[in-house]
Amino acid sequence: MKFKCNQTLPERAIHIALKGPDGGCQRGDGSGCFIASNVATTPGDMTERGCTYAGCRGVVGGPVKDAIQLTHGPIGCAFFSWGYRPHLADSDFHIKYTFVSDMNETNIVFGGEKKLLQCIIEASREFPDAKAVFVYNTCSTALIGDDGRDVAKQAEELIGKPVVFFECEGFRGVSQSMGHHVGNETIFRQLVGSVEPEGDFSRAINIIGDYNIKNDLRTFEYLFEAIGVRILTRFTGNVSVDDLKIMHKAALNVVHCQRSATYIAEMMRDKYGTPYIDVTLWGIKNMSQALRDTAAFFGLEAEAEEVIERELARIQPKLDHYRQRLQGKTVFIYQGGPRVWHWIELLRELGMETMTAATTFGHDDDYQKIFRQLKEGALVVDNPNVPEIEEILRDRRPDLFISGNKEKYVAYKMGVPFVNGHTYDTGPYAGFVGMVNFARDIDKALHAPIWKTLRSRARPAPVAHHTTHGFEEVE
Amino acid sequence: MSSITIQDRAVAINPTRSCAPIGAMLANYGIHGAITINHGSQGCATYPRHQMARHFREPVEVATTSLTEKTTVYGGKSNLLAALKNIWERFHPTLIMVCSTCLSETIGDDIPGVIDEFLERHPEVTIPILSVKTPSYIGNHTTGFDNFLKEIAGNLPDRRKKKGETNGKINIIPGWVNPGDIRELKHMLREMGLNGLWITDYSETLDGGYYEPRPHFARGGTTVEELRSSSKSLATIALQRYVGGEAARIYERRYGVPAHVLTMPIGLANTDAFVDTLVEITDHVIPEALQVERARLLDALVDTHMFTTGLRVALYGDPDLLEGLVGLVAEMGMTPAYVLTAADTMPWAEHMVELTEELGVESEIILKGDLHELHKRIKARPVDLLIGHSKGKFIADAEGIPLLRVGFPVEDRFGYHRRSIVGYNGSTALVDEITNLVFERRASSIVSNTLVERGVEGPSYVPISLPNGNGKLV
Repeated sequence: MKFKCNQTLPERAIHIALKGPDGGCQRGDGSGCFIASNVATTPGDMTERGCTYAGCRGVVGGPVKDAIQLTHGPIGCAFFSWGYRPHLADSDFHIKYTFVSDMNETNIVFGGEKKLLQCIIEASREFPDAKAVFVYNTCSTALIGDDGRDVAKQAEELIGKPVVFFECEGFRGVSQSMGHHVGNETIFRQLVGSVEPEGDFSRAINIIGDYNIKNDLRTFEYLFEAIGVRILTRFTGNVSVDDLKIMHKAALNVVHCQRSATYIAEMMRDKYGTPYIDVTLWGIKNMSQALRDTAAFFGLEAEAEEVIERELARIQPKLDHYRQRLQGKTVFIYQGGPRVWHWIELLRELGMETMTAATTFGHDDDYQKIFRQLKEGALVVDNPNVPEIEEILRDRRPDLFISGNKEKYVAYKMGVPFVNGHTYDTGPYAGFVGMVNFARDIDKALHAPIWKTLRSRARPAPVAHHTTHGFEEVE
Repeated sequence: MSSITIQDRAVAINPTRSCAPIGAMLANYGIHGAITINHGSQGCATYPRHQMARHFREPVEVATTSLTEKTTVYGGKSNLLAALKNIWERFHPTLIMVCSTCLSETIGDDIPGVIDEFLERHPEVTIPILSVKTPSYIGNHTTGFDNFLKEIAGNLPDRRKKKGETNGKINIIPGWVNPGDIRELKHMLREMGLNGLWITDYSETLDGGYYEPRPHFARGGTTVEELRSSSKSLATIALQRYVGGEAARIYERRYGVPAHVLTMPIGLANTDAFVDTLVEITDHVIPEALQVERARLLDALVDTHMFTTGLRVALYGDPDLLEGLVGLVAEMGMTPAYVLTAADTMPWAEHMVELTEELGVESEIILKGDLHELHKRIKARPVDLLIGHSKGKFIADAEGIPLLRVGFPVEDRFGYHRRSIVGYNGSTALVDEITNLVFERRASSIVSNTLVERGVEGPSYVPISLPNGNGKLV
């Protein structure tokens, strides 16, 4: 499989692979070796990747609802990461407010430690109800050697609440994936286990790696509760600082996003002996399996079967309706990482087949899971760039493209139906009821009348002739 | 009398501004077939792309040199060389603009030096490659836009100009505006029978149509050839003082093209100033169409004044936009109670004090301000209307105040990038929208064109400010 757009970029070949007839991997450079992932991006290839700060501030730390979200750096990092990711909670302080030490040139020259300390004090004075201050480091403050850890320690004594310093400067690592790791590690080190609550935690679980995008949690929390377990802490959707402090008390960690949050489950296993299970909370088979696996741990199998049966009876007629409308469609999924392999099965349950799969920051284990599930002839691309995405949309012509906001408008300009898998169009999409939302959105995307209008009525661009007013139509 | 406050807090809470690279990227979108390479961490390209996609609802493509730990130690030269090569070979753009970041500036990469080396190694590359300094720790998003315009003015225009040689055009530097604004300005020039040379023009590249097949480069944008000839224009008009004003002066100093630096043409007086300048440069008369549009704006101001006079308004955003808006707000009889910018430009603040004085309104001009500060002021003394970008929605929601969305970004509504707020037509649209926002907030019904106030018992409710015994507004 060779991309036309990669004629001058032979180094991209090892990131592209077809699933072979024997189930093996045929890589773009001709070898059978596995797809290369989690390595540095080719400069100037128009990658969609973000930075470590984005993975830490945007994904892991940002959803914590009662922490002051303070960026230590210049203004841009804080502005762009503010208020667009719908990691909802039952309060909205974390979405409405962003804080930044607003480093200017003088601060860069003379150091920003004093200013950071002052910022933490001022911010906590303005918002005394906040339970902690999360400080995110950026490229410039890391380069000038600000000792943020030390400042955080000083500040903690002064304000009397946790000051958590994340070393998530953007240039670390090769993608936002490093930021997830930093986020997990820092929260674990500084918060988890800092309080020892009394009580019975024998049936308490943590949901690890769900960020409550458009209230995803609402679609499955009640299912776990119905089988008789209690959710102690959500890492990190709709979570409070106090929840994080006691999460080590849980009897079991249920790990949903296995790229951005397995780290903390492993650290808890090693330190506290808390076992964890990997689950997928999207789709019928996977969601049911998640409930069964959780129930099996606590000896609640019968309860789980009852819940599953009751829930499926509720949604089955609706899913049947959509399956009949979606049958046989092909899909191109391009997500950050795990959602690709989380959704292959879900789409199959709706009668659709994933023929192209790509991730921004997936690691080897993500691609293993993707390859295992795909059909022969499916294409896999690691860290695809804009021309590659355009070529896939144009030449492989998927019936549906599932990706994020940036890619949405590329798909629309090329006339390809699109569903926003990052922040959802009208989610939530998780759990059983969420799957009906997902199916409904896919149905809307595929069958909206606009595509027929485009096919029958779209015209080529008018020949541009240069006038004094810029490009205009020839009359 | 108006006053100036410099916000004095180390931590910025809910800033009104973002950082420099996005300004340079946006301006570069106004050149047909141009591509931006952002020299820094991947986030420095991806975040602005995402922000622009949310505002313009268009594909936004910017390359990054993907700097990592290794490059912070050894420098980013090899990454930049590779990025230049890859962009050239894969896209064959008409121009490449390399903008810097905190990271590449702090490690001290010599971007112009690397570009020279690249051009030496690749003699087949004949397109211009510009370098713009855009570290986030200097200025704000408008700084990047302005630095880009200075780079264009200094490097692209043809220096070989015979005496008296002219292309018959007028350079227009709209500044940080929306595609709809550029289209309105084009309409005005067309009506005047004049030829504009737009520096730059993203009216179509960032507000494009659906075509099959999709063009290789987005339609529209000023061509590099046009920009080369901009040294031969009759004059340059910059419509924002801080975004493009300096570039206009570069045209005057280097190429002898007279510079006219104006206030953003929002409202009657500001638009008149723009039209008068066009007349002054060219001796063309004001055409019938513009005279009618002007009269229509006056008519709209008359029709609405009973509902707008005396209202208190809070405005926030970029200095140039605020300066233009204050003109219109005053013409509508409203008081620009708080005028808040994140910028730190005292000359602007002093100018705003003079301007509000002339307009007969009293304002607090707040420099280095953020939205948290504005919110505190509004809590202490409410306003009837907020004017600014989408991030003010948190104040609007909390206080139940209508928000007129203008500027960048407007990410929570569709189509604001298509609207125009400049010229006579744009101003008329704003007058209508402001009045309607006030209606929707206050009116339970509108009977015989009269507002029936919502939730008001008896005649005691006085929605506007009245002077008390000390002559101060209460």
